[in-house]
Formats: sequence, C-alpha cells, structure tokens
Amino acid sequence: MITFESVTKRYAGGTIAVDDLNLEIPDGKTMVLVGPSGCGKTTTLRMINRLIEPTEGRILLDGQDVSQTRASQLRRGIGYVIQQTGLFPHRTIEDNIATVPLLNGWHKAKARARARELMDLVGLDQDMGRRYPYQLSGGQQQRVGVARALAADPPVLLMDEPFSAVDPIVRATLQDELTRLQGELHKTVVLVTHDVEEAIKVGDVVAVWYPHGKIAQIDTPERLLGAPADDYVENFLGFDRGIRRLAFFAAAGLDLETETVLSADVTVELARQAAKRAGASWVLVTSAEGQPRGWAALTELESASGGGTLGQLTLAPYGHTFRVGEDSLRAALDATVLSRTGLAVGVDGEGRAVGVTSYERLRAAIHGAEEAADHEGARAS
Amino acid sequence: MSWAWANRDLIGHYLVQHLYLALVPVLFGIVVSIPVGIMCVRYRWTWPPILSLTSIFYALPSLALYLVLIDYTGLTDWTVIIPLTLFSLSVLIPSVVDGLRSVPQPVRQAATAMGFGALRLTVRVELPLAIPVIFAGLRVATVASISLVSVGQLIGIGGLGYFFTDGEQRDFTTEIYVALILIVILAFLADGLLVLARRWLTPWERGRSARDRRRVFSAAFHGSRAEGST
Repeated sequence: MITFESVTKRYAGGTIAVDDLNLEIPDGKTMVLVGPSGCGKTTTLRMINRLIEPTEGRILLDGQDVSQTRASQLRRGIGYVIQQTGLFPHRTIEDNIATVPLLNGWHKAKARARARELMDLVGLDQDMGRRYPYQLSGGQQQRVGVARALAADPPVLLMDEPFSAVDPIVRATLQDELTRLQGELHKTVVLVTHDVEEAIKVGDVVAVWYPHGKIAQIDTPERLLGAPADDYVENFLGFDRGIRRLAFFAAAGLDLETETVLSADVTVELARQAAKRAGASWVLVTSAEGQPRGWAALTELESASGGGTLGQLTLAPYGHTFRVGEDSLRAALDATVLSRTGLAVGVDGEGRAVGVTSYERLRAAIHGAEEAADHEGARAS
Repeated sequence: MSWAWANRDLIGHYLVQHLYLALVPVLFGIVVSIPVGIMCVRYRWTWPPILSLTSIFYALPSLALYLVLIDYTGLTDWTVIIPLTLFSLSVLIPSVVDGLRSVPQPVRQAATAMGFGALRLTVRVELPLAIPVIFAGLRVATVASISLVSVGQLIGIGGLGYFFTDGEQRDFTTEIYVALILIVILAFLADGLLVLARRWLTPWERGRSARDRRRVFSAAFHGSRAEGST
C-alpha cells in the first residue's frame, strides 16, 4: 500500500504541481494516473521513489515514510519504467536487465540467469541477450525496460508514460502484455499516462486529474465511464464513453437467437419455417461441425425449392464474429454494426456458432448490464 | 635515405624524445581534464570561467610560454611539457564536458531511479558513454601535440625538431624532409591507435552508422567553443 498524506509539491516561483493530495494506492493492483500534461501526475509518481521530494506531507510505503529510507536503497526496491526506456546504450540487453541485481551485489552469473528468466517473462528471445539496445525495435526496447524494472522482483512498479513512444499497434500489444504480466505477478503498479484509452484498458483503478494538481475522480474504469463525477471528467473521457463502457460487460449476458442457426444439410423448407417462427429475415448456415458458413436470406429461402438443402444456396458472407465466453458487449455490438445483415455470430472457443445477435437483443443486454452495474455502484458508495 | 640509415641511432634518439615530449602532456591532460570536466558538469557555475581559461590556453603562443618558463624550469623537458599540457587541456576539458553532457537525460534519470549513487553514475554510466566524444578530443590533442613538440627546438628541446634547425644551419634539406615525414607518420600512427582503442572500448558503437559518429565528432570540436562564444 502506498499512501499520500496531504502531499503538496510547490516549486520555487510558486507553481503548485501537486495540491494537498491524499491518495491510497492498493497493493497488487494497477492504478493509473491520467490527466493533461502539467496536471501533477508525473510529479506524484516521482515522489514515490524520491526523484522529487514533496514540499509538505508524507508518503508512506507499507506504513513506512519513504523519506526515512536512503534514496538509493528505496529505489532498488521500486521498479521504474520510463517512456524513452533509458536503457544503458553501452550495456548488453542481458546486463541492462541485470542492473539492479548487480547493484544488490549478486554474482554476475546469477544476475544474468535472472535476466534470461525475465526475457522469457516479457516475451523477448533469449538470443537478444547479447545485443545492444540500439539493435532492438522500440517495442522490444520497452520490453527490456519492463524486464529491467522487474529484475529484483520489487513489489512496486512505477511506469511513466511507458508506451507513449511506440506506434499504436505495438502499444496495444504492450498494454495487453502488461495486463497479462500483472495477472501473473500482482505487483502494485502505478502508471502515468495522458491517454484515457490506455488508462481504461490497463487500470484496475483510475485517477483522473484536473489540470492543476488535484484529482477529479478515482474509480474503476467501468464506474468512471458509467458515472463521471463532473463535466470535466465526462469531457476528458471523450464522447463515446457509453459505448466504451460496454467493454466492461461480458457478452455472456446476451440472450442469443439459436433457432435460426441451421446446419447446411437442413432442408430449405425447414429453414423457412424456423425463420418465420423466429420472425427473422436471415438464417445462419453452418457446417456439420457448427462452423458458420454464411447467411441465407428469407427471400432466397422462399424462392428456392423446399426440398433442397441450405448448402445448395448462395450464401452471404457471415461477417464478423465474437466469442461469447470471452468478449465484451462492446465486441458483440461492434460485430453487429459491422455485419451487413445487422446480425452478428456468437461463437464458442472452438469457433462453432452458438447463436446470433440482433439490435433488440443487444439493447436488452446493455440495459440489463447497466442496471446491474448502477445498482452495484450505488451499493458500493 | 642513405643519410637516414647512417644516422638511424640519432634519429631513434630524437624520435623517442619526440614521442615522450608529445605524449606526456596528453597523459597529464587526460588525468586532469576528467575530474575537472566532471566538476564542470556537476557544478555548472564553474564551467564558464574554466571554459574561458581553456580558451586562453588555446590561444597562448607556446613560444612565448617557453621563454617565460625558461626562467623557472630552465632547459629541462618541463619547459616544453608544461605549455603542451596546457594546450592539451584546452582541447580535452571541453571534450570531457561535452561528452558527459551527451549522455541522454533519460539514461541518467533511469540510472538514478534504479538506485545509482552520484559516483557510480559518473563512473559506470556517464564516463563510458562519453568515451566517443572524449576520444575525438584526445585525437585532436595528440596529433596537435606531436606536431607542436618541434617548436621546442627553439630552446633546444624539440625531439625531431632538432633536424629542422640542424638541416637549416647545414643547408641540408634531406634531414628536414625525413624529420617532417617521421612526424607526420607518428601523428597518423597515434591517431590510428586511438581510433582502434576507441573501438575496443566502445563495443556498443560498432554497428552504428558513420553519420552518428560524425555527429559526435563534430560536437567535440564545435560544441563548447560555439557555446562559449555566444
């Protein structure tokens, strides 16, 4: 647990970077500090490992005032990742990662073995161990940065805009990797970013900052999107927060249409009846194993001979699918919007069609999920 | 050539003296400029006066200095070594300062955040990363020093410069040319050795493009002087 007790940072000249901050950062969670530049989020982060000293107030790490620990000692127990990686250009990847273990007096062989372990952990090829940082891509360098911060297995990891300097595709991968790592390691992570999407994606808890040193709201990403504390937060989150919030609701809550999912060897006549019973204008045709093959339109069914099978018809492409067990309502909605038929296919882990969506069914699921979340939120607060 | 062969012992003697007189000042220069450079970077206010001082060293006519020093150090090697040391300082101190400043800020910050103390940061991170720029200065200082030694001949201590005055007095140009060529060869060899040493010391620079290195090199020459003149 990291605790800020009435912490203020005032610079010479009177600029207040952080204004009377009280904040508790829970153990084993990812807390994201997000806000415009100059809001005090980075200053806050750097006060934890004493790169910046507060003007007033105390910062406690597990109940211990950080100013009472020798700075270099304190820092070796806190991982630190920065945007420009700050890798040592003159040291190999292996030695870069082994930096803190070596500072702690480990033998070189043991430290290097640890470095290789970490390269595995962050998804780097061990062959890269002997290379120098400039020989790696930006994304790989950032992985090295994370590995280096984790080398001495510190309980706390500070990340200052760690993914801002890489391209969007690499950034998304690194964000996913961080979520995966955190699922294994359960570090206390404090991550600073100006990217609200990133905050919502990787944070367990998100603190949104006003422009000048104060926090506007601290909440889970879902609650933040569902109930912004004020206009500032709402604006900061962006215009489509309603849709983005759906990312936190499981698609499993959708009541899918299963009647109109039919195997290719079913007769046209039976399909016609099923479509009419369901009031649907499309049926989904699947292979015998259940894999989706395409859509058959009701008009097509009516003009075809009733004795033939669905497999003989010309099918429209089945379009986008979503995984019922893993994806969110946002993915289901997205697949539905992208689908030419206005219907999307929900599949199971093996890719077999489970059922199809419709806007009506989505609406019902979204409504139900939001109601449940608001109820939960009201109870929590 | 037959003259050179016949006088190989004499040439050898002056060659050794020449190298000694040229390299000792560079050695002193590097030993002094590293701590001074570190100080100038750590305590920023010390840099402008020291930069001015190095500019004076640079501009000082060594001949004048020889004549002043001769009253104190007499006709000893020191009379040549001291002015050349001052000259090499004028090149090396700015190189060390530029080199230390060329260390990227994020690298310094990351090292601090990982628990490097000030001394460890300087020795393990900043100095190794400053090597390319420091070596650029070292090459200039060494080559210049090798060529400047011969000026010492005006007070009778000039290494291979002996053959310049001797050749002139005897109206015998061969020995002037031989000494000249030897000095140029020495300078080239010393420069080449320094390039090799730099490569050996900085394995992380090997794959980098030549353009990157030229940038470092030109920073070594122009960086501080340009900054000082503004």
